[in-house]
Amino acid sequence: MTDIKIEMKNIGKVFETDDVETHALKDVDIVIRAGEYVSISGPSGCGKSTLLSLLGLLDESTSGSYVIEGHDVSHLSLDEAAHIRNEKIGFVFQSFNLIDEISVFDNVALPLQYKKEIPTDEFIKERVEACLKMVEMSHRADHKPNQLSGGQQQRIAIARALVADPAILLVDEPTGNLDSQSGDTVMAVLAELNKNGTTICMVTHDARYADMAKIQLKLLDGQIVNDEALKVAV
Amino acid sequence: MRILIRQHKQAWASLKKKPGFVLTVLMTMGITLGALLCAITLNYLLLVEPLPYPDQDRLFVAEHGVTGAKKETKGLAFTYPGLVHLYKSKAAFEQAAIMSYGEDVIVSHNSQPLVNTAYITPELHQILASPLALGRMFEASEAMDTHNPVAMLSYNTWQQEFNGNVDILEQKINIRGVSYRIVGVLAEHFIEPELEEIGRETQVWLPFDFNSAGEGQRQSFGNISGNLKFIGLLNKEVSQSQAVQLLTPLVNDRWQEGVAEISFFKGWSIDMRVRPVKEVMLGQSESIAIMLLAGVVGLVLIACANISNLFMARTAEKQRQMAIQAAIGATKKHLFKAMLAETSILMFMSIILALVIAKSGFYIMQQYLGAVLPRVNELSLNPITFGCAVLVTVVFALFFAKLSTRMINYRALNTTLQSSGKGSGLQVSKKTRQVLIASQVALATVLVFANFSLLKDAVKTINAPLGFTTTNISTLRLNFSSTDSPSQEESIPIMAGIMEKLEALPQVESLSQSGSPLDGFYLRALTNVANNERYTPFLKGADQRYFNMIEQPLLQGDNFTRVDRQDGNNVMIVNQAFAKQLKADGDVLGLQLSMGGPDPHKIIGIVKDIAIPGETAIEDDGSAEYTGVPRAYVASRLGAQTFMLKLKSGQSVSREQLGKLLAEVDSRYAVFSFNSADDILTQRLFSEITTAVTTAVLAGLVFLLAGIGLYGILSYGTQLRRFELGARMAIGATKQHLVTMIINDNAKSVLVGFIGSVVLFALAYIGLSEYIQPFLTWQVLPMIVATLILITLVTLFACYWPLRKYINKPAIFSLRGSD
Repeated sequence: MTDIKIEMKNIGKVFETDDVETHALKDVDIVIRAGEYVSISGPSGCGKSTLLSLLGLLDESTSGSYVIEGHDVSHLSLDEAAHIRNEKIGFVFQSFNLIDEISVFDNVALPLQYKKEIPTDEFIKERVEACLKMVEMSHRADHKPNQLSGGQQQRIAIARALVADPAILLVDEPTGNLDSQSGDTVMAVLAELNKNGTTICMVTHDARYADMAKIQLKLLDGQIVNDEALKVAV
Repeated sequence: MRILIRQHKQAWASLKKKPGFVLTVLMTMGITLGALLCAITLNYLLLVEPLPYPDQDRLFVAEHGVTGAKKETKGLAFTYPGLVHLYKSKAAFEQAAIMSYGEDVIVSHNSQPLVNTAYITPELHQILASPLALGRMFEASEAMDTHNPVAMLSYNTWQQEFNGNVDILEQKINIRGVSYRIVGVLAEHFIEPELEEIGRETQVWLPFDFNSAGEGQRQSFGNISGNLKFIGLLNKEVSQSQAVQLLTPLVNDRWQEGVAEISFFKGWSIDMRVRPVKEVMLGQSESIAIMLLAGVVGLVLIACANISNLFMARTAEKQRQMAIQAAIGATKKHLFKAMLAETSILMFMSIILALVIAKSGFYIMQQYLGAVLPRVNELSLNPITFGCAVLVTVVFALFFAKLSTRMINYRALNTTLQSSGKGSGLQVSKKTRQVLIASQVALATVLVFANFSLLKDAVKTINAPLGFTTTNISTLRLNFSSTDSPSQEESIPIMAGIMEKLEALPQVESLSQSGSPLDGFYLRALTNVANNERYTPFLKGADQRYFNMIEQPLLQGDNFTRVDRQDGNNVMIVNQAFAKQLKADGDVLGLQLSMGGPDPHKIIGIVKDIAIPGETAIEDDGSAEYTGVPRAYVASRLGAQTFMLKLKSGQSVSREQLGKLLAEVDSRYAVFSFNSADDILTQRLFSEITTAVTTAVLAGLVFLLAGIGLYGILSYGTQLRRFELGARMAIGATKQHLVTMIINDNAKSVLVGFIGSVVLFALAYIGLSEYIQPFLTWQVLPMIVATLILITLVTLFACYWPLRKYINKPAIFSLRGSD
């Protein structure tokens, strides 16, 4: 089963405040294979963003186990989690989260600078240019993010997510801050990437975009209500 | 009103969640505003508030300025007959009083306490309208030349020495053999004009006739004494300058007659000075008080800048909360009011702490600065203090609230919510933040370095070599409690008997019939017989054991012998500095110096220089510029009544024990004073110790404020970058990556700050080169390095500390925009 990129078993997440315990996720099982395009959708508060945070190691689960490309990542320190994110995961945020003070090129190159062994300048240049080309933004390499439109910024964010050649691209509401035309463009880019072999897991509440994924997971009250992904795994 | 209360409740609830922020604002503003209230109250008291005497604007002090042949001022003190002549002339003043200050032992009291005395004419308390607790003040029947022995006590003396006995009036006290009848006790709130010495409180007031001046001094126009004072109410039609013109010829003519036969005073004259009592009391204190206020205002400004940074960070932190308020209809005015509620609570708490600190400051000043600043006993929390406190509270609360709300981009608040708080919300530009960091670093570097320099200087003075030892040495001065003073011949066997008893004490290691160098020298006019050159070195009597006991090395020639003292040989020992004054090569053995009598003194030895703290340090580096304090020593008389006792290590002798010992030899003698040399040294080093402690506290405070300021602005910068930090963490940045990034980003600003501090120093050097030049030696290099290291450490801390709450949590916390 070497083509399994991600495998989550019995994942739970509980948020505790002073006197209230909220079960955001309960016994979630997910398997994502190489080259798959998975969408996670559901109503507000169902746990989509929480699940994506756990998938991206941005947060820690309360229970369950999590394996990425055969490595157990259930119990990592913050720095170990950072290294795994850097090596295995590409993240695309709803609000882009680009750094306004540096150029598009430098934004895209950023994950490479956080590698354990920093690549050569030539490699970085080659890799960044390739990623910008993939999202058709090569001509904006010297611009600052705040000089670009929302759709263009999201494409830059996708290029940044791809630059370290991750095992999976995690995408959080990629069209949430975009108009429909820009949203369609971004979705087209993602579809093209998947067609070329990139594994994608996307959170969206837009049924139209969720349908574009080959595998659609539906969350309700912190639980997966269809088990399509699991079935595929079995 | 209800809305106001609700707003304050909400503000309090919000502040309770940020104890670190509240504590920092409270401590910073509380301490600095406390110091400000203290300084303002002191300045008001010294510079504005009138003296508590009727007609205080007409109350003047006349001073006797002794001017040398080259028109240089030789001293500002009266001769006894000159003072009496002025008093009796009644010129220029409507009413005048004269005084002679002293120290005496109340021998009739069981504990024989040494008290501060003032011998006065009756007009003094009439002019001051002194309030009384008991009895009356002196009357015409106790005026000059009436020789009527009566006494008045201060309130504290009545309470402490006589247990507040209500029957104290008509009781008698014996001082120097005279029995005085107590006729009055001054009220507790009587404020004495501090004319002789700041902080000196007269404990017993006695008629002028009984002052300690000997018959010779009473007649001599050649002896000046700093203990003699003249105070009076100037005639209404006479101005200050007219009084000077009127009094100078009156006093000078009489003085010239008096010194006509003394060749030493040829060409000298008297210039009278007439100054307001307030000016005399203030002395240099006015500039000290203003400097203190300026320093404290500087501290408050730094604190204000620092707290502004913290409020900027706080506003950035509250952005989301304010966005919600704006979304539900809060206007800019509402947001300002909400912020004002917070700043009001914080400033109210700060000012309460400030008042407590100001009150403590008054106590500290009264306890420790009573000898440096006049009128400190009058310091209290008064309407001026409270008025300033209210004003400061209102101004700072409005200022911080305005500053915080000015940062808010009201239009941008709505978009903050739309973007879920992610990736937006920059209020202050990066450039502004960098300028703030650089200015903080520059200011902190200058202040820390300046404080280090002052501290080093004070510590250096405290630890400066004296050139003699004070270890286990005490000085004993005797008091003769009878009016019929013994003759020199009569006192010699008595002193020999006392010395025999003292030497027999098991605690005593050795004894010298002379005072410690710290007890003081006196100026003496000497003439070089060879060339008639005149000198005024500091003179002291010393016996044959003096130099050995204090371990002051004899460099050339011989020490005094007992025979010198017995035979009254006119021999003298001089120090290196005086030897160099007398002859450039310092070879002065055998040189003869005249004190005015027929037989000059012959120099038989040269001793090494010593330093008296508060006067000069020993810095003879062999350079031609070196001019130490010239000192000369003559053989002390066998009847001298001052002794140095070197006690065995760990031993002590009490005043009572010595009193009994003296009584066994001759009951007319009592202990005048018995002080250890170390205690006198500590007293003399008081201002240096005060400077060292003050600068150490200030250095600490400045360092703390610098730390808070840097923390505030760096924390603010980090706060603004939390989403960026989250994004970087999301794409794999580790803690080390982020810490390094923040340090690198701030390094440039810090470097600019260091360069800025150099520029500030350069500007200070251009403006104040004569003061700064002496400090510019290689010795400042370690201090520069220490300052840079300290500021760098503070900066590193300020870089890391605000960052830790983001990098030590999963990335999602930074990205979500809440903790």
